[in-house]
Amino acid sequence: MLSPERRPSVAERRPHFLSFSSQNGCPLVVPHLAGIEDPLPESTPDKVDVLIVGTGMVESVLAAALSWQGSNVLHIDKNDHYGDTSATMTVDQTKKWVKEVNDGKFSNCYTNAKLYVSAIIGSGDRGFSSRDFGLDLAPKILFAKSDLLSILVKSRVHQYLEFQSLSSFHTYENDSFEKLTNTKQEIFTNQNLPLMTKRNLMKFIKFVLNWEEQPDVWESYAERPICEMLIEKFKLERPQVFELMFSIGLCYNMSAKTPEVLQRIRRYLSSFDVYGPFAVLYSKYGGPGELSQGFCRSAAVGGATYKLNESLASFDPSTKTATFEDGSKVTVSEKLVISPTQAPKYSQNIPEQKYEIHRLTCVVGKSCEEWFSEGESAAVVVFPPGSLKSGNQNVVQAFILGPGSEVCPQETSVWYLSTTEQGPRAEMDLDAALEAMETSIVRESSSDLENDESIVQFGPNGETMINSVKLGQSFKEYIPRERLQFLLKLYYTQYTSTPPFSVVDPSFFDINDENSKKLITGASDNGVLYTAMPSAEISYDEVVTAAKLLYEKIVGSDDDFFDLDFGDDDDVPIHNANYENAIEDDDDDEDNDVDMNFDVNRQGTTELVGEMEI
Amino acid sequence: MQLKNELDLLFWSSELLFTLAQLRQFPKVYWIWNHRIWVLENHLDSSVNIWKEELVMVSKLLKIDARNFHGWLYRRIIVRKIEQLTGEKKLFEELAYTTENINNNISNFSAWHQRTVLLSKIFGENENESNAKMIHDEFAYITNAMFTDAEDQSVWFYIKWFIKNKVVRETLEPSEYARLLQELHSNVVMINQDDLEFSGKENNWCLKILIVLDDVLKNIGIETCIEKKKCLEQLINADPLRKNRYLCLLNDGQ
Repeated sequence: MLSPERRPSVAERRPHFLSFSSQNGCPLVVPHLAGIEDPLPESTPDKVDVLIVGTGMVESVLAAALSWQGSNVLHIDKNDHYGDTSATMTVDQTKKWVKEVNDGKFSNCYTNAKLYVSAIIGSGDRGFSSRDFGLDLAPKILFAKSDLLSILVKSRVHQYLEFQSLSSFHTYENDSFEKLTNTKQEIFTNQNLPLMTKRNLMKFIKFVLNWEEQPDVWESYAERPICEMLIEKFKLERPQVFELMFSIGLCYNMSAKTPEVLQRIRRYLSSFDVYGPFAVLYSKYGGPGELSQGFCRSAAVGGATYKLNESLASFDPSTKTATFEDGSKVTVSEKLVISPTQAPKYSQNIPEQKYEIHRLTCVVGKSCEEWFSEGESAAVVVFPPGSLKSGNQNVVQAFILGPGSEVCPQETSVWYLSTTEQGPRAEMDLDAALEAMETSIVRESSSDLENDESIVQFGPNGETMINSVKLGQSFKEYIPRERLQFLLKLYYTQYTSTPPFSVVDPSFFDINDENSKKLITGASDNGVLYTAMPSAEISYDEVVTAAKLLYEKIVGSDDDFFDLDFGDDDDVPIHNANYENAIEDDDDDEDNDVDMNFDVNRQGTTELVGEMEI
Repeated sequence: MQLKNELDLLFWSSELLFTLAQLRQFPKVYWIWNHRIWVLENHLDSSVNIWKEELVMVSKLLKIDARNFHGWLYRRIIVRKIEQLTGEKKLFEELAYTTENINNNISNFSAWHQRTVLLSKIFGENENESNAKMIHDEFAYITNAMFTDAEDQSVWFYIKWFIKNKVVRETLEPSEYARLLQELHSNVVMINQDDLEFSGKENNWCLKILIVLDDVLKNIGIETCIEKKKCLEQLINADPLRKNRYLCLLNDGQ
């Protein structure tokens, strides 16, 4: 039975997918799919090619890839919801999860969960209900130019989901949030940047877009931290260096090496303007939990069998027989893939998860639109090393989602903070960042500042500019009169085998190889593939790499990974009508969602027009 | 005249819709634009309204494809018509529009060109005093632009037009004009020097504008310490496609 305590599924929210209605004259091409939410009640198959345990992000992408390739997949999850380590949960589901963590149910994956929930949630009349919230266990953002995004489009899983843009990146410095200056347009019109800084910044941005071809510029810095190159070679100043490293590059500390940071800075810059004036997207109604569900759905369309509320009790490597808690059995002819959180008892080969990620998730009683760009509902705030009272050595990253993202009700927002700092210092850093955010939002949303006209000034060419010096001063002198209301606060430590700043290593999946010398003789999970826990990375970038490696382990090669042909490409609607809309409709469409089909096509035509430029 | 009597409003509106549909597909075909102007000129509705709507249309079009020079030409025609019909000048509105477009994309050559057209008109109508202020602002604007992107030819073309402009030369006090030019000169030298340090190569655009600046300064009796001959010799090597032009300039100077 389904738990009544769950948020509406992808299918339930978008009934027109099932009813095949054609709102704008374009029938959907993804096949009809009924009842994926219902676990198969009768029986599980006797024999499958691959059994996947846990419906996290990587497992779900893998399940979809395998089932479209033709493998016979059984995909189970012990929970009554999809997502596993990437789940999007209601408040009640979160409570249950916290209890499980503290009962030691997944001691090598999560520890030290502390949860506070305000009485307002679940209190009937004026309060919020548990399912008004969708809280991500491992929140993620999606770069507009990334391998996951192309797979989302290729597999048409993006049609199950809704994406919104995120263009607000702030770097916290000197007790205030500096908004990112990263486009040529912003650099040109920014009145506070000295002329030479503009030039140096532009020079760097141009360089980074094809840095690999210019080894003469960076080779001597290859083994050194990137900040040395930014300061010596590009003569950039501290604020720009921090912005490039920590907001654009999303690095964790000062020691990040040059080539890998260049790669990450380019990731941001080349994602910009792919779908519009922003580099990053996130999915509405929840992050990786939603995406996992979408890929599971795709896998089911491709022929995979799903069973929730089912856990693996044991596995016999000699007969390749998996036995479930309900007593049923299945023969796995090729591979068994298990998420470390759902391994059966007495498993001996679960990889060591030696890196800690400390996370703090809060729901606050303010919508925080002060931090968002116009028409958007999300922001990223980065606290560089040394910027916090706690003297943090590692970055604290905060991902903020407002009510427009549909993960929380009006007048609230969800704050996800995380750090790669190890040990007890981490929680101090998280608390310091939380305090800085709290102070900032309370004074920014205070009405005292709104009436002060001298903060907004007009530049010589009529552009508005915020007098940031003035803003900074009033920030420092401001003593908050109100306190922020916390509706929920959740601390936990997550463990992962992936070191900060890297993706899962191919050798990770070799550890359990039958031929490997490290195997424990006679262990019940010899030959089992364990997936990696989510890393500290705030983007989805590791997901495809990990799924592809597992796919290669199972199929033998990754040549046909999501090599999909729906055979109806001509039917995919091309939104010609949009040009007309752009001309004849008034601006400011209320809908801020990003339509990938439309924009990909538009991209094509603008390029064509560009060729004819004078 | 005969046309107007025979054809009804519906005809003219459907003709506008038809040309819009064609423009959508072929935004760079002269005759669609020309026909659309003809339609507007002969439209049964001879009020300013259809022209104002047209200005909104072309603004949206330029938002989608900001560098379609047909669109910019069309915009000038529409604006001129509105000015004729209403008697109001739209020069400053249009200047703000080009600023907005250049701010959005510094490489928008069409917008920079529109700016030269508008500034020439504004200079012709303004008092000396307000012209002087505009010229000062413009010096700051171009300085900002060349520091933002010293590789962009539209910026350098605009700077060349601007410093050689007669009104710019004659409006300011000679000493003030000379001061601004020298400031520009030293900024260009600074950018060139910076490029040399970074990549070991001088910036061709800088060298070219230094030659122009050298001439302009010489005309008002100021010798720069930059040797024009040296710049030209460098360009002959660095920009071989225009070698003969530089050779010609070299010989002229002697």
